[in-house]
Amino acid sequence: MRIRQLLIICVLALFFALTARVTPTTHAQRSATIDTYAITNAHIVPVTGPEIQRGTIVIRNGLIAAVGANVAAPADARVIDGAGLTVYPGLIDANTTLGMPQPSPSPSAATGRSGAGLPSIFAAPQATLITAPNSAQPPGLQPEVMAENVIQTSSDQIDAERNAGITSALTAPREGIFIGQSAFINLSGDTPRQMIVRSPVALHIGFTPLRSGTYPGSLLGVFSSIRQMLLDAQRYRDSHVTYEQNPRGIRRPTQDRSLAALVPLITRDMPVVMQANTEREIRRALDLAQEFNLKVIIAGGEESWKVTDRLREMNVPVLLSLNFPRRTTAQVAEADPEPLRVLRERVEAPKAAGRLAAAHVRFAFQSGSMTDMRDFIGNAIRAVENGLARDEALRAMTINAAEILGVGNQLGSLEVGKIANLTVTRGNILDRNARITNVFIDGRPVELRPVIAAPRGAGASGSWTVNIKLESRDVTITLILQQDGENLRGSIQGELGSSQIASASAGPTGDLRITVPITFQGQTHEATLSGRIAGNEMSGSVTVVGLSPGTFTGTRAGGGPTTAAPSSSPQAQPTPTPEQPSGNPPASSSTSKTLASAALADTEASGTWKISLVIDDQKVPATLMLKQQGKRLSGMIEGPFEPAEISGQITNEKRFSFTSTVVLGGNSVDLKFEGTIYLDLALAPCGGEGIMAVMSGTVTSSLGSVAFAGTRYQECK
Amino acid sequence: MRDKIKRLIVFTISLAMFSAINPVHGQTRTPDNQAEQRREAPTETLIRNATVLTISHGTLQNSDVLIRRGKIAAVGQNLKAGGGARVIDATGKYVMPGIIDCHSHTMIDAINEGTVSVSSMVNVKDVLNPTDIAIYRELAGGTTTANVLHGSANSIGGQTIVVKLKYGRPASEFIFPGALPGIKFALGENPKRSNFPPLPGLQRRYPATRMGVEETIRDAFTRAVDYKKDWDDYRAAQKRGDKSVLPPRRDLQLEPLVEVLEGKRYVHAHSYRADEILMLINVANEFGFKVRTFQHVLEGYKVAREIAEHGAGGSTFSDWWGYKIEAYDATPYNTAIMMRAGVVVSVNSDSNELARRLNIEAAKMMKYGDLTEEEALKLITLNPAIQLGIQDRVGTIDLGKDADVVIWNGHPLSVYSRPETTFIDGEIFFDRQQDIARRADMERERAQLEQAEPNRPPAQGGVPPTIPRRRPSHDTDDEWDGGIDQR
Repeated sequence: MRIRQLLIICVLALFFALTARVTPTTHAQRSATIDTYAITNAHIVPVTGPEIQRGTIVIRNGLIAAVGANVAAPADARVIDGAGLTVYPGLIDANTTLGMPQPSPSPSAATGRSGAGLPSIFAAPQATLITAPNSAQPPGLQPEVMAENVIQTSSDQIDAERNAGITSALTAPREGIFIGQSAFINLSGDTPRQMIVRSPVALHIGFTPLRSGTYPGSLLGVFSSIRQMLLDAQRYRDSHVTYEQNPRGIRRPTQDRSLAALVPLITRDMPVVMQANTEREIRRALDLAQEFNLKVIIAGGEESWKVTDRLREMNVPVLLSLNFPRRTTAQVAEADPEPLRVLRERVEAPKAAGRLAAAHVRFAFQSGSMTDMRDFIGNAIRAVENGLARDEALRAMTINAAEILGVGNQLGSLEVGKIANLTVTRGNILDRNARITNVFIDGRPVELRPVIAAPRGAGASGSWTVNIKLESRDVTITLILQQDGENLRGSIQGELGSSQIASASAGPTGDLRITVPITFQGQTHEATLSGRIAGNEMSGSVTVVGLSPGTFTGTRAGGGPTTAAPSSSPQAQPTPTPEQPSGNPPASSSTSKTLASAALADTEASGTWKISLVIDDQKVPATLMLKQQGKRLSGMIEGPFEPAEISGQITNEKRFSFTSTVVLGGNSVDLKFEGTIYLDLALAPCGGEGIMAVMSGTVTSSLGSVAFAGTRYQECK
Repeated sequence: MRDKIKRLIVFTISLAMFSAINPVHGQTRTPDNQAEQRREAPTETLIRNATVLTISHGTLQNSDVLIRRGKIAAVGQNLKAGGGARVIDATGKYVMPGIIDCHSHTMIDAINEGTVSVSSMVNVKDVLNPTDIAIYRELAGGTTTANVLHGSANSIGGQTIVVKLKYGRPASEFIFPGALPGIKFALGENPKRSNFPPLPGLQRRYPATRMGVEETIRDAFTRAVDYKKDWDDYRAAQKRGDKSVLPPRRDLQLEPLVEVLEGKRYVHAHSYRADEILMLINVANEFGFKVRTFQHVLEGYKVAREIAEHGAGGSTFSDWWGYKIEAYDATPYNTAIMMRAGVVVSVNSDSNELARRLNIEAAKMMKYGDLTEEEALKLITLNPAIQLGIQDRVGTIDLGKDADVVIWNGHPLSVYSRPETTFIDGEIFFDRQQDIARRADMERERAQLEQAEPNRPPAQGGVPPTIPRRRPSHDTDDEWDGGIDQR
């Protein structure tokens, strides 16, 4: 009996012991029990009060409980030794799209067949537009859309901002004319409700026309549609006020959520944020605000320093973008020089903040869709180097932002009772070598992951099979893309000829734009493909100078971006490294060349080229065996004619010309080939047929001239 | 009396001798130096010893033009200016009024709201771009005023305005004071989109025929008549003290059409074929408004009498022909034939590029129709001013008119001549010498800016720059100037 009881007790004890060990104590539960922190011995910068050289800040229950030189850490606080650290109010990003849903791939993108209702070229690009239910207005003109209804709690972008020391932000949907109502959120929380500090904050207006093919389709229509809706909102308000006072005898006014959402703008109860960067955009925004007596805030404000008189007079604050413009184009000898206006603009941008401060215009900093969040503080430092006082810069990242956005009583400075958002650094935050050591949001520490490089594009790399509809013809081409950070290179092959892409870009949300020469119906044209990549599909429209617009859809082979990094040069480099021309910075690897780089060095044009001549819509294949020695070209050409000798030369840089006399249909015909060779040995990974170089140009004879293009395949080693 | 005048002359001459004479060149106005410009711009300018083409009262040899506070203060010989005046020696040069371009799409960020066929609610005033380099180039071609229009994609297009090309000023200062606003209509192939296949998947927009173009216009005006009545009724009720009536909904599409009906807004109608010209005259007569100008009007010669009877002006090309079916019956004698029938005719550019040499366009009419020099010059000065209702202020060199004048280095109707200095309201907005002198400064500035960190190409990678054929036309020299859509 006793043994059994003992056994039972033992088993029960074991059971409890095991379960006790097994019961998960989540991180949240554990830290839920710690809600008091104290950072001691730190340099504290409250922003709205004098700096405290050495002091303590205590946060409890998500709020700042105490700040001062003589504050003692409470017994139940988790103490962080702040020696050598500086505590600032959590930084604020005054205008973002954080937490907004990513664009979803359009269902009709894959088919892209004409006649299938709204064509894919229109459906795909507008996938980011948030639609409100039962609206009388089309998407993009729905002011009732609210950011708070669609916030997603975590994303790479939110992580990147937190790592840059940003603890809260204003967020609004990505696009539209009436973009929607923004929300001020803390960048931490398990549910959207936990993140929201205040909503709605403001109605955002952008001045980009809808791309749906319906009104308004131009900047002209954007202004008129905004104006008409604001007039209608005024009438809506008047009619409802009248009706409320005495409904008897009056037909009830319509219920319209879109107009109802505009009423707070007219009554100045809600501010409107207007996106404007150039001087004329800002003036137009101010004119519109004046016309309807709106409480306006300018977002972007790159040239706001040119309009300070009016901004100050109308008491308009600016959410100044820190995404300063920089040159992104490579140095190419044949390119046009950049306009003076563009050069000036890039140099003036960092000076804007200092000028606004000098003119007593209120402003706060926003990240302005920058891809590398380190530029947030980095460019604030540049603004300081260009005339902005340090304390003004700090205010622009903290209390000014809070006050402009209506949360100045809740956060933005280190004052007792405010929300405990803190950014802690080693070193002055506006020093280039400062490091962010801790970030607190809502009184809780945030895990700082190592700075992730911002989303590097949609992963456009790969080999795509693209179907293009142009001038009621269907053609298929292969599009090979290689993405290296911001840069996109590649080439096309197939029914539109083989050629290198002239310029290409792929944005972080999947926007794609490629300009490439094509050969269509015997003529060379320049085509621009613009559209979207979503997963392994792409679709969009094609515009060709001189032809009517077309559409394209494509799928990526192999179901994923190729992993080969272009900078690790392929091994199959047949020729020795040429010397780099002066002034041309070499690409990352010395053995890979970029477009339009060094002149063809010895033997680079050599090899076997498969070319095709476009004659009357037909592609006539031929094989060219080239041998280059210095500037001389020799070799053989073989095609729908007997092999014939060729002789010619490299004329300059990458241009060549050679002649050959061939026998066509019993007649001797002199052919003159003139063209350009593009070497981009870093294009495609070596597997199957790696394309190693491309040539294109024209063949002239007494019978006329036609285009030709060719590729040189090299076996991979 | 004579004695008194003599004494006055002696007095002013001695005054002039003792006063400082300011240097010849005024600085060209650019956005970066405009603040300092306003401070130092003299209020008086004396252009001396030029051949003055007054347009209104013949050619004056060896004459002076005195400009004071933006107006033409005196025209004659041996004029004297006050101390502090800017004096320009124009010996061997010609002075004529600034050219007025009656059909321009310069300086707007959007040309067509092509999604709907009645877009009267949109206004080019909302999208003005005062930094368009084309403005400066037009000043260099002697053009000082432009009628900035919506495009021709719609039967009823957008609202239009007249501007003075004050390059360097904010957009609000461009607007021509007191000029009535306009609205653009378009007839024929462009609004019915015959040369543009519909985008894949979309239905062709209505109207697709000339019948439809007419119907769209009639329908819009019918609704405008109703709209006007609703508002007239409302205002009458207000006057009576009846508070129970809510105002009608303001409809921005119909309001400009009501203004047309009330004669407060000019109609500029892009048109080609004789039948559509007559159609619009009939519609206008029916609704009780006047077409102010027919634009392009290449078959105007066929119906010149009807156009003259209606009282419309014609603003046309010098010698464009055959670029679309409706332009097939065009003749360069169109201008002369319409003129002889009593139509006020101007020659326009419809192009940033052509707006730089409207003097040559006018000169061609001496060949095609034997116009005299004066008649030819009127085509680009007084006539467009009359068409735009601004002839009280510009279009000729007369006392009291705005000092919008241009100094040419030769007779403006010669292909060898070029403007040297362009004045608007007495201020210099283009000066050839100043432009040349600035080039060295700009090169230096460019060299310096290109060294700045944000302007250096990225060390690694870098997007290949757009190839020359596709660069935006507003920033470069050889433009590819729009398409058929605008003509």
